[in-house]
Amino acid sequence: MKPKPGHTKVFWFFFSKKNKTEASSFVPGALGAVLFALVALCAIAAPVIAPYKPTTIELRQRLMPPAWEAAGSSRHLLGTDNVGRDLFSRIVWGARISLSVGLAAAFLGAVIGSALGLCAGYFGGAVDTVISWLIEVQLAFPFTLFAIFLLAAFGGGFLPVVCVLALATWVNYARVVRGQALSLRSQDFILAAQSVGVGPARLLRRYLLPSVLPSIVVVGSFSAAQAILTEAALSFLGVGVDPTIPSWGAMLNLGRNYVQSAWWMAIFPGIAIAMTVLGVNLLGDWLGARLDPRAR
Amino acid sequence: MSRLPILLSRREFGAGAAALAVLPAAAPTRPVVVASDEDVTTLDPHLIRNNHPIGSIIWSVFDSLVRRRPDGTHEPRLALGWEQPTADTWRFHLRPGVRFQNGELFDAPAVVVSINRMNVSPFNGESQLWQQTNLRQVTAIDPLTVEFTTDGPAVTMLYWLEEAFIAPPRYLAETSPTLVGAHPIGSGPYRFVEWVQGDHVTLAAYDAHWAGPPPIRDVVFRAVPEQSSRLNELRAGSVDFVPGLDPDSESSAASALSHAIQVPGLRKMHMGFSQAGITPLRDRGVRQAINHAVDVATMIETLQRGMATPLTSVVNPPNNDPSLRRFAYDPALASALLRKAGHEGFAVEIAFDSKYADALESCEVVAAYLGAVGLLANVVAYESGHFAETLRARAFPGLYFYGFGALIEPLVELVIFTSDAVDNAGAYSNPAFDRLVKKAAVTPDETARSTLLRDAERLVWEDCPWLYLWHLPEINGISKRLLYRPRADEYVELYQAKLATS
Amino acid sequence: MRRCLRALAVLLGVSLATFAVGHATGDPVALLVSPSASQAARAQMRSHLGLDRPLLRQYLTFLGHAVQGDFGQSFIYRQSVFSLVMARLPATLLLAGTAFAIALLIGIPLGVLAAARGGAAAAALQVFSMVGLAIPSFWLGLMLVLVFAVELRLLPVDGFGGTALILPSITLSLQSIARLGRLVMSGMTQALRADYIRTARAKGLSEARIVWVHALRNVLVPVVTMAGLELGDLISSAVVVEVVFAWPGIGRLAVTALGERDFPLLQGTVFMAGLGFVLINLAVDTLCTRIDPRMRRR
Repeated sequence: MKPKPGHTKVFWFFFSKKNKTEASSFVPGALGAVLFALVALCAIAAPVIAPYKPTTIELRQRLMPPAWEAAGSSRHLLGTDNVGRDLFSRIVWGARISLSVGLAAAFLGAVIGSALGLCAGYFGGAVDTVISWLIEVQLAFPFTLFAIFLLAAFGGGFLPVVCVLALATWVNYARVVRGQALSLRSQDFILAAQSVGVGPARLLRRYLLPSVLPSIVVVGSFSAAQAILTEAALSFLGVGVDPTIPSWGAMLNLGRNYVQSAWWMAIFPGIAIAMTVLGVNLLGDWLGARLDPRAR
Repeated sequence: MSRLPILLSRREFGAGAAALAVLPAAAPTRPVVVASDEDVTTLDPHLIRNNHPIGSIIWSVFDSLVRRRPDGTHEPRLALGWEQPTADTWRFHLRPGVRFQNGELFDAPAVVVSINRMNVSPFNGESQLWQQTNLRQVTAIDPLTVEFTTDGPAVTMLYWLEEAFIAPPRYLAETSPTLVGAHPIGSGPYRFVEWVQGDHVTLAAYDAHWAGPPPIRDVVFRAVPEQSSRLNELRAGSVDFVPGLDPDSESSAASALSHAIQVPGLRKMHMGFSQAGITPLRDRGVRQAINHAVDVATMIETLQRGMATPLTSVVNPPNNDPSLRRFAYDPALASALLRKAGHEGFAVEIAFDSKYADALESCEVVAAYLGAVGLLANVVAYESGHFAETLRARAFPGLYFYGFGALIEPLVELVIFTSDAVDNAGAYSNPAFDRLVKKAAVTPDETARSTLLRDAERLVWEDCPWLYLWHLPEINGISKRLLYRPRADEYVELYQAKLATS
Repeated sequence: MRRCLRALAVLLGVSLATFAVGHATGDPVALLVSPSASQAARAQMRSHLGLDRPLLRQYLTFLGHAVQGDFGQSFIYRQSVFSLVMARLPATLLLAGTAFAIALLIGIPLGVLAAARGGAAAAALQVFSMVGLAIPSFWLGLMLVLVFAVELRLLPVDGFGGTALILPSITLSLQSIARLGRLVMSGMTQALRADYIRTARAKGLSEARIVWVHALRNVLVPVVTMAGLELGDLISSAVVVEVVFAWPGIGRLAVTALGERDFPLLQGTVFMAGLGFVLINLAVDTLCTRIDPRMRRR
């Protein structure tokens, strides 16, 4: 393969047929990409796609079933909720919350986890001991309980939830990165840089980081999926992002009281979550297969 | 081919014989099962945290001196009669021959022990008898007479004694508080059998009760947190009584075995205006404007499916002034009033306790109405503890969604609006109102007191300390084998219920 | 021995974290008295609960008591936290244990079969596990209730006991089945490609024996490790399922404690759950060492 400059190298790396491990891994990957693109489209183009604002209340239209049912109307494709808001619009707008929470949490977790993992793997010794201890303590916690604990302490809301979710995922990055850093630090190019006098900070940033980046991306996709699911669970338990913004988890929490009378309120947000998580997971799987060093 | 109708198949014959065998014998009745969403946390008679299920269980296992009838009058229970020898004293004549469920004798000293217990921590956190009646001491004059001495006239003594439950003194003295809360012993119509944490509490009829054993022998109070589960079990027949249904679920309560019963509720749902918060809410015109801006009638029609009654006073019927007029839905008038007051387009927070599932929808709807008259309303969920704290500290910045007082006693309902009242969460303060209520509190004469209270009621109504919403409808799912008329104040009195004889 | 010391260090961290967060939640007195209680009553309650002593003193006291199994008294239930947790623990263990058993009994064979058959079976398992991992457990619970309990009236909606165990344990087990299945499948696929397997086939051993005895043995270590982690994960995920199905376990207890800011109860629950995890991990580690002596030299 001829070396290509900068960003196009990355692009071709992903799409060049020569780098595929199995032909069959392409289909799920493509499906994942399609699902994710769909959700991303909803998030980005929500004002255009959604027929109503997610907060428009129409009391006299409350609890209308989806359009294909007898009592439904074509004005509300998936029906309305308990105060008459259009469910389809809310689901489309909800993509923004779920995606932004998921991506923000994955990103924050990546930053924290990778930084700590790199330090632990590269410096070793006391630093490694402390960080490994932190990782084990974190893993020893029944996470859902701890998350509720934290969120009740600091209130719900976007920022606290993102922080708590980042707290859930940083360990994934840390462990992987630490392992890789451990094996990389004895490699030639690192030793060479050290002998030339490159400082640790620069070493970490310029030399180690790019090598672990592919793993971070793969872990990142799974962490984002995990974050989206956990956000939904937290909203369901009542300690998530503000219940007044239409996050899918909050919609599930609301719909749970109407499971028998207005089933559409609970089913469709759940499907949305499942689709998104599935898409992200499939993408992550595909990325993992392509970035797996053993396959090259 | 035809068969003679008298020739039954073997299976039909067997079934018929079995049915015949069952009929004459009295089949042991299943216990009556009551479901509720909250768990029982303790069964200590002086630590009632909620009206149901804890209150209901306590009311079954214990007795108090007097009991509030559904219409607000007082029924003699452990006390047969009472009088006030002076303005500062209440004397109660006790029912003789009453025994607690552990055999101890009920007498005046027992009353003294229980009442005194309500004055120490942690019980004085939940029981307000001593504070609200300015009780100074309680003494046993003779084995069957007890005297309460107060600092100044206590006109609401009977009201506060309704939940002053009497427990056996030796049991209290000899048992750890933990065990008292886990194994309650009283003198009421039911005795405690068992409590499986997180699951249920079982009671059985107390045969030696002074009013005779209750008609229903066995009762189980079960904790079933999901409303859909409670409804399913009601319809399937494994639960007999489900209190506290919301209007949307009322139709789900009907089945071959069950139906829904609705009684007019007493809990006054409202949005309190916090006058210690943002400035515009301190202006009466603004508060009245907000009352005109919200279409309470449509909210009742849609959200409450027409089952709630709009608030027409801060005092519950039958003691309310019927001449008070409601604030009609008039957005144009609301805007005009806001303009006149000089407060337009301001931001206001609407707070609610996230524990209550339907609070969110009411708040969102009110926010939408406020938005329609140019105000920027923002709905905020408060975690239950935080909500209670803020309520106590009068620290809400704007509006707060609350439901107060499923009770009947005008003085108690009005005293919460006095400036120094502990429950005055909105920091409403009107010296003229304070004077009226304080005077009424020390006026023993019924007529004079009523006049004072009516004046106060009118005054506070026009002043709008609240955005007036509705009386929460008391909707109960009840199985067809249970004959019971539910109370409006959410307590479940199963000793008043009977099983339908089929 | 080193492992035990590490476990202890982890527990210390757990206790620190529990204590620290517990005290950031706010003022518990507000919840334990009615909103109309007087200041004097609140102050009495505060000192009654020891909330007016310096923080470090409170932590050391907490730790000292914790090692004796004394987590104080629950504010709302007024009983020892330890007894409350122990009373509800069996329910959670029953639920998690049943889900674990289901995951093992279904996940492992599915993975083995998919690896052995390959092709369509493998693809099907992949699809199933991907979908299974994407479905939120509480949503699945609600759907199962809707179908089996409400519409078909086959199973109870909630409660405790035999038939009521079915729906929640199935709900809880789904994600574990998916993960275990995938792990077993990938492990078995690799194991089946190894040389000694080809030798076994050449020797004429039956395919079933090759797959289930020889190949599976090699997958055992990672599977046991993951299984141990899964069990811990199940106990944690049980919180949400317990809420949906009103299962009277420690998850629900903790959610109640949370809503009422019951410090001791919350601390005690999270701490004891952490203790449980540490013990499970310790057990799994030891088990792994027994199975595979190669791990001993770590």
